[in-house]
Amino acid sequence: MTELSLPLVLAVTARTLAVCGTALAIALLAGLPIGIWLGRQRFRGRVLGVSLVNSGMGAPPVVIGLLVSMLFWRSGPLGFLEWMYSPRAMVIAQVVIALPLVIGITLAAVGALDEDWELQARTLGIPRGRRLWLLLREIRLGVLAAVIAALGAILSEVGAVLAVGGNLEGETRVLTTAILMYTQMGQFELALALAAVLLGLTLVVAGALTVVQQGGRA
Amino acid sequence: MSDAVLSARDLVVRRTSRSGVFELRVDALDLAAGSVLAVLGPNGAGKSTLLRTLAGLEKPSAGRIERRARGPVTLVFQRPIAFAGSVAHNVDVALAGQGLPREARQARVAEALAHFDIARLAARNAHTLSGGELRRLALARAFALQPAVWLLDEPFDDLDPAGQESLSLDLRRAIDGTNAAVAVVTHDRRRALLLSDRIAVLLAGRLAQQGGREEVLARPTSVPVAQLVGMENRVDGELVPPRGGEENGALVVDAQHRIPVRAEVCRGRSTGQWLAGIRPERLKVDVGRGEGVPIGKAVVRTVVSDGVAVIVTVVWAGRELRTYLLAGRGLARSLAPGDSVTLSVRPEDVHLLAP
Repeated sequence: MTELSLPLVLAVTARTLAVCGTALAIALLAGLPIGIWLGRQRFRGRVLGVSLVNSGMGAPPVVIGLLVSMLFWRSGPLGFLEWMYSPRAMVIAQVVIALPLVIGITLAAVGALDEDWELQARTLGIPRGRRLWLLLREIRLGVLAAVIAALGAILSEVGAVLAVGGNLEGETRVLTTAILMYTQMGQFELALALAAVLLGLTLVVAGALTVVQQGGRA
Repeated sequence: MSDAVLSARDLVVRRTSRSGVFELRVDALDLAAGSVLAVLGPNGAGKSTLLRTLAGLEKPSAGRIERRARGPVTLVFQRPIAFAGSVAHNVDVALAGQGLPREARQARVAEALAHFDIARLAARNAHTLSGGELRRLALARAFALQPAVWLLDEPFDDLDPAGQESLSLDLRRAIDGTNAAVAVVTHDRRRALLLSDRIAVLLAGRLAQQGGREEVLARPTSVPVAQLVGMENRVDGELVPPRGGEENGALVVDAQHRIPVRAEVCRGRSTGQWLAGIRPERLKVDVGRGEGVPIGKAVVRTVVSDGVAVIVTVVWAGRELRTYLLAGRGLARSLAPGDSVTLSVRPEDVHLLAP
């Protein structure tokens, strides 16, 4: 029977934050530009792209876990990387979960702007880089909503990280997979303790972001 | 025009929308420094498309826009858009591209806000402004750029009459203080006239007429233009040129009614059916002061006043004609429906329109 020790809880929590944080950062870096682009440009095939994003927002994590597993499986197309059952594979799976959320919410925020927003900035002679900064400032509430939604989704998600990470102790065990494991082992005390940490984490993250979001509305 | 800072030549702009293909065609249009052009036209005539094309925001399918302006060309949209942040930030950010030192920028921001009477709102979140305040912000933001060409799309939209009045005065002062070439698009003729010295009339994507303000007001080239520039009285009749020695010809409406037409206006025009166009403010009721030529008796039909102007309609030769009086003065105080009046008009105020 595993003892509940502070170092263990801290290690699992730290790994959870590292994996989710990395996945969130990648999802934001890729998702914000794509969301802004999809929200502003009108081109053939845009509707297809948007509906792809929308369906991605509701994709079951366990299915994403399956697909990413197939990708990194020894015989899979990216098997040579030997990322299966590593935090890298978990990050990839979580990026796939978070990306549609970031893109979808960003494009909705951009779409809610006046259609002449960009032209207005251009006709004032505002340089390109400065326009992008103004745009991000304009949609910051949407961006924060995207962060809250994406982080909430990947922090609490278990199916994908279990499938691609395998819940290996000291390597790929994160809060959700640990809770699942201890629950199945009947070690409810341990499971509850880790659940409390996870809940606390989600509350703190969502709370902090909400404060920022509401503050920005003043 | 030699001092034109922005010119459109052989312009064709096509836009496809749900209602079909709209085409704007402008052979030649010039904006000159220190001059204000009012672009008049009904909704859907292509006024906004013209402005956007002049601003370089829409690509013409053919023709060209020649920019000889030294400073910025900027457009204030019909629906003003504020950026997130304070009112002052909104003006400041527009100056960011001009490479001005911080103090110079702050001074320009303060000056622009003061010009449009929103200095007290400088620290306010721009997204909390009322419609009128937002419009003033949009104008101040463009003004701060010290544009060489200033394009204004319906600057008086969704303002109450008092707001329109004060904004048109502020705008007039702002324009007077610069040497910018200004084009203002509006369907509100009176507002446009407060600002402009030139008029261009746009009808269904075509430039129906352009010229000096008084010229277009007094001599519209067609009935639709006449309607648009407020030549409300249009009377049909037969044109009879002056007979030997007579100073004026006449438009004969019926056996009892005729309207004097100057000889040079008759010249070069065929006899036959024409419309005599007379602006309401040029049609005089109950003279006796010797101004103009009496054209006969009329009966007052309606008298309405907005407190400043009195609109009087009279029936003359079976037609309803309109005239304006100043409220509270002379005849305006006593005139009532059913009264009999004498109409008169100066021959030079009679314009001929092809029916």
